[in-house]
Amino acid sequence: MQLNIEIKRYNPDEDDEPHWESYEVPAEPLDSALSLLLHVKWHIDGTLSLRKSCAHGICGSDAMQINGENKLACSVLVQDLADGDGDTITFAPLPSAPVIKDLIIDQSRFFEKYRDVKPWLITDGPEPEREYEQSPEEHAMIEDATKCIMCGACTHACPSTWADPDYLGPAAMLKAYRYTFDSRDDGVEERLDVVDSPDGLWKCYTIFNCNESCPKDIDITRWLSALKRKAATSQASTTA
Amino acid sequence: MAASQTNALNWFLHRITGTFLIFFLITHFWVQHYDHQAASVTHEVVTEKGEMPDYPEEAEEGVEARMGSSAEATPYQVVMQRLADPVYAVLWKGFNILFLVVALHHGFYGLNNVMTDYIRNPMGRLVARALSWTVALGLLILGLYSVITAGW
Repeated sequence: MQLNIEIKRYNPDEDDEPHWESYEVPAEPLDSALSLLLHVKWHIDGTLSLRKSCAHGICGSDAMQINGENKLACSVLVQDLADGDGDTITFAPLPSAPVIKDLIIDQSRFFEKYRDVKPWLITDGPEPEREYEQSPEEHAMIEDATKCIMCGACTHACPSTWADPDYLGPAAMLKAYRYTFDSRDDGVEERLDVVDSPDGLWKCYTIFNCNESCPKDIDITRWLSALKRKAATSQASTTA
Repeated sequence: MAASQTNALNWFLHRITGTFLIFFLITHFWVQHYDHQAASVTHEVVTEKGEMPDYPEEAEEGVEARMGSSAEATPYQVVMQRLADPVYAVLWKGFNILFLVVALHHGFYGLNNVMTDYIRNPMGRLVARALSWTVALGLLILGLYSVITAGW
């Protein structure tokens, strides 16, 4: 089939504002959305800029807004975006993020928030002679959250991020959940200090946009709610 | 990143007040606007005549036009009589005061969330927060005065 591809283009050296450009691209139903963009780049307009690496839904580098929803371009198929000949598929950079060029966003703010939540194991005791042990039940608490590939689709799908760029966002707070609820971790207080802040947990209004956009189907809202309960009970026990 | 400033208690209370609001709103609308039977029973207790007070003709026509010929409405006098009743006044005043406190906390905490979504300057947030809670306090005093003095 022949599809009409519309891409939100922006070159900071030439454009004052982003603008839409259209391309006619041949496609098969089982092609990925990413392959449409690569066709444009390789055969029509080599100046198109986008991030992609593994192209298999692991590296998380090609998250973008496709037909108005945040998705991984490599993980969504043409048949799920278009019905047939002449249909239009739109591509835009993730909303609310500063755009470097075309579909490439500046991720520095995103990763700054990620580092804020101390996404590493914090331990108090002496280093064990063998690996830290964890039972299957203990791991089950965090297994879903460990699937996060840090693509940023969730954080940039959240209206709280759109309104307040300082908001930590679901990706960073999911990482906080992942370590806070890790049975081997002793850094609960340090991490709760970060997420229990005016730009943290309490700006999550439980609207499930993060769940909708997650390419790994992580139940992000559920884990953020667990983190809220943890922060609330921790606060209650501190003041008691 | 702003310094840690917990909002856990307010978040928790927002959930609690939201749950209570479901009960309060349903009870309020049922008793004040919809429940003719239970409301009539209450009115029989709190009014000496055991009858609904007469409506002004225009009010009856207005209610019929909007809600149908079988509709009834609770007039102002009944509400006042209920709040003056020696038995029921404590119940309804307590209900209304709790309703007021719960609704104000729920509404103004929500408003504060919206404001901090859009006001990023810490001083601006402080001013907006102080202003909103001052308005809430004013409404609380006004509401408490209205409920407590009603029926006196």
